[in-house]
Amino acid sequence: MSLLALSDVSKRFGGVNALADVSFAVEPGDVLGIIGPNGAGKTTLLNCISGLYHLDRGDIRWESASIRGLAPHRIARLGIGRTFQIVRPFPSMTVRENTAMGALFGRPGARLQPGAALSEADTVLDLVGLGEKRHYPVLRLTVPDRKRLEVARALAMRPRLLLLDEVMAGLNQVEIEQALEMVRRVRDSGVTIVLIEHVMKVIVGVCKRALVLNFGRILVEGPPADVLKDRRVIEAYLGQRYAREQERKET
Amino acid sequence: MSQFIQQVILGLLLGGVYVAVALGFSLVWGILNIVNLAHGALVIVGAYVTWALFTRWHIDPFLSLPVDALVLFVIGYALQRGVINRLIRAPLLFTFLLTFRLNLVIVSLLLLIFTADFRSVTTTYSGSGLELGNVIIPYIRVGGLAVALVLAGILWAILNRTRIGAAILAVGADRDAAQLVGVDLRHIYALTFAIGAAFAGVAGGIISTFQSITPTAGDPYTLQAFAVVILGGLGRVSATVAGGLAFGLIEVLGQSAPWLGSGYANAIAFVVLVVVLVVRPRGLLGRLA
Amino acid sequence: MIAREDRLPPRLRRSIFAVTMVALAYVILAPLTSIDAAQQAGLPLLTDKVWFRIVTTVLMFVVLASAWNIVGGLTGYASFGNIAFFGLGAYTVGALVANRGWPFGLALLVAPIVPALFALVIGLPLLRLRGHYFAVATLGVGVATGEVVNNVGPLGASTGLFLPIVRSDLLFFYLMLAAAGLAVLTTWVILRTRFGYGLLAIRENEEAAAVIGVNTNFYKVAAFCIAAALSGIAGGIFAQWNSFINQELVFAVSDNVQMILMAVLGGAGTALGPVAGAVVLELIIQTLAGGGSGSVYSQIGLGILLAVCVIFIPRGVIDFFGGRSKLSLRYFRQTLRETSA
Repeated sequence: MSLLALSDVSKRFGGVNALADVSFAVEPGDVLGIIGPNGAGKTTLLNCISGLYHLDRGDIRWESASIRGLAPHRIARLGIGRTFQIVRPFPSMTVRENTAMGALFGRPGARLQPGAALSEADTVLDLVGLGEKRHYPVLRLTVPDRKRLEVARALAMRPRLLLLDEVMAGLNQVEIEQALEMVRRVRDSGVTIVLIEHVMKVIVGVCKRALVLNFGRILVEGPPADVLKDRRVIEAYLGQRYAREQERKET
Repeated sequence: MSQFIQQVILGLLLGGVYVAVALGFSLVWGILNIVNLAHGALVIVGAYVTWALFTRWHIDPFLSLPVDALVLFVIGYALQRGVINRLIRAPLLFTFLLTFRLNLVIVSLLLLIFTADFRSVTTTYSGSGLELGNVIIPYIRVGGLAVALVLAGILWAILNRTRIGAAILAVGADRDAAQLVGVDLRHIYALTFAIGAAFAGVAGGIISTFQSITPTAGDPYTLQAFAVVILGGLGRVSATVAGGLAFGLIEVLGQSAPWLGSGYANAIAFVVLVVVLVVRPRGLLGRLA
Repeated sequence: MIAREDRLPPRLRRSIFAVTMVALAYVILAPLTSIDAAQQAGLPLLTDKVWFRIVTTVLMFVVLASAWNIVGGLTGYASFGNIAFFGLGAYTVGALVANRGWPFGLALLVAPIVPALFALVIGLPLLRLRGHYFAVATLGVGVATGEVVNNVGPLGASTGLFLPIVRSDLLFFYLMLAAAGLAVLTTWVILRTRFGYGLLAIRENEEAAAVIGVNTNFYKVAAFCIAAALSGIAGGIFAQWNSFINQELVFAVSDNVQMILMAVLGGAGTALGPVAGAVVLELIIQTLAGGGSGSVYSQIGLGILLAVCVIFIPRGVIDFFGGRSKLSLRYFRQTLRETSA
């Protein structure tokens, strides 16, 4: 049984098909990478899964039960955590408090009290490498650290599925390595991951499978190495840039 | 049937007044992102200017409208430049509080100058109207509607046909970008508010012709202007015109319903407001946000 | 963990605590010197009619500002319609006592229920709106509710309602004090529970709150209802205290703005900020409004004073003590630079 299964998911904005008949499944233990050019519908897809958008058509199933039309907080408590591409911390709180909010509200079963949530936050912060900055106000964090905090807050919910929206965008090489390491640790702790990425290295580095979206449709799906070699993908998305990179490597 | 036609005509004529009141309010909101709670007070300042000119020098109220505009333009420019500009990037709540207080200060000043007595402007043609069978169309209200439509035309022309208008729209769309291309932000802010105030002044002049005025008479107009903008939609002159006329109709027809009385003007405005906000947040003609 | 008072430097916290306790002791005990037994025992009279009137009014605004703070300060929804809850509470007591002959005590128990139910009904549609839209829509609630009440015959229409007079400064003072205590305590408890963190999360980023599992609609409406109930209690006490109510008295939008100013200037989002704001601002207002004929000038004076406050310290007085900023010329210049065009 798939953990998450989308069938014919469609979403329109005005006259634009943001998503058209998107179907795929995520198996437990999967690390699925979603790539595609800007505006391909990647973030819209995550917003549909986490319930921020209503679907126009199609269905989303979580362990074979439909979650279509559920409020975002209900979906969160089922065990689906997510991050935002443009980070959305709670600005007046510290790093630790931000993270604790995930533990306080996102747990499916027993309700934590604030104290327990805070100690839970400490565990998660160590996992993502923010342990030493736990008492910082969020506004003092650098961009990579804010992205880590997004992950920490989602992880504090103890999700079974984690949706990561471009957590590597805007990071330099060293920071990407660190973030990759973090994603691997999360994967090893038993969390299934769906991640949206522009950085190919990440897709090849951690994903078992990759899926290419273009104009709201799935173009190709398969093992990352195969997907990246696919001619349609290179045309649609990687065309110039990837080709140029290849040339540079060869010279 | 003629009763109904009479109500519709009265509704549209009243709608003209709302158009006049809402034009400036809508401009300030759309461009400066300020819901100006002192708008009603500015309207009444205009009404008092017309009244003063009429009682002192017997100037016809419709002829005094340009004076209203000029006086309010100066007041508006000074207010924005001196006070509101200081708070324009603060959270919404603060511009709200500031303009609310401004409203009270203006009302208090009016009380000091003009006292709380009812003032009215009664011209020789005040009571007369065009009679078509059982339907009566008061001249003075027709004049008001005509002025309102002219105002809408002027605002449209300013925004779409002048350099200043282009600068105002640019600031409304993206203030940082506007600044980058050389727009003097503070001046444009003040100018926008001044134009809004000038329109309020003219609306006040119109209002003084059919309603007796007191310093607090402007308060309902602020909420009604808001309802008009919500009803029509923010960001277009034509939307304000449609919203104003529709709102006038709703109010007159609503009050003529047997189970409601004339005491429910604000309640009707509010119900319209909430229904539109919930059902169709961008208004009848508004652009997609 | 998140309450901002906790972040005050300890020395300051201790001195604030001490001052508060002394003030509280005085406020609780001073009125007792006006009862007959104390007078006969020769104790100095610490209070008089005017003192009672002013302090009871201050306490009423403590309730209103604290209640507003739960919606506006903690949840981030700036409501301009809380005065409707106050008015409904007042009219509940007014109608039950004046028309039905209920005893005041019993009627007061119903006073929080009616506004809370009203908040429940209007909360669902209204709390979907944000920013200007929410502010003006709630402003409309206040005005419209008042207008409807003003047109209903059994509620006295435009004449208002007269309640049998109860002459007891002490009773109303202590009732209002208890209501104020309840409001502050409610805020304090909320700030320390899961519920409070949910409200703060909504204020800070509503979508982020939703995707980590906060039931945003429920939380917002619940906060709205709590605020409504507290404001309703204040309104109920006011109705009997004043023994006369009409639309202008209990649905005044300017009172709503006043409670916002108190909460904001004192420090929105904290338990004690609204109290400080209510005490300071109401005392200033009472001083300015000294004479009847001076009320026009006091409006102008107050307007200018508040404009200055709002322009110069938009983040509230508590911000100064938060360890992040000092009350200095530089602070003023900086806030001016941040907020002005």
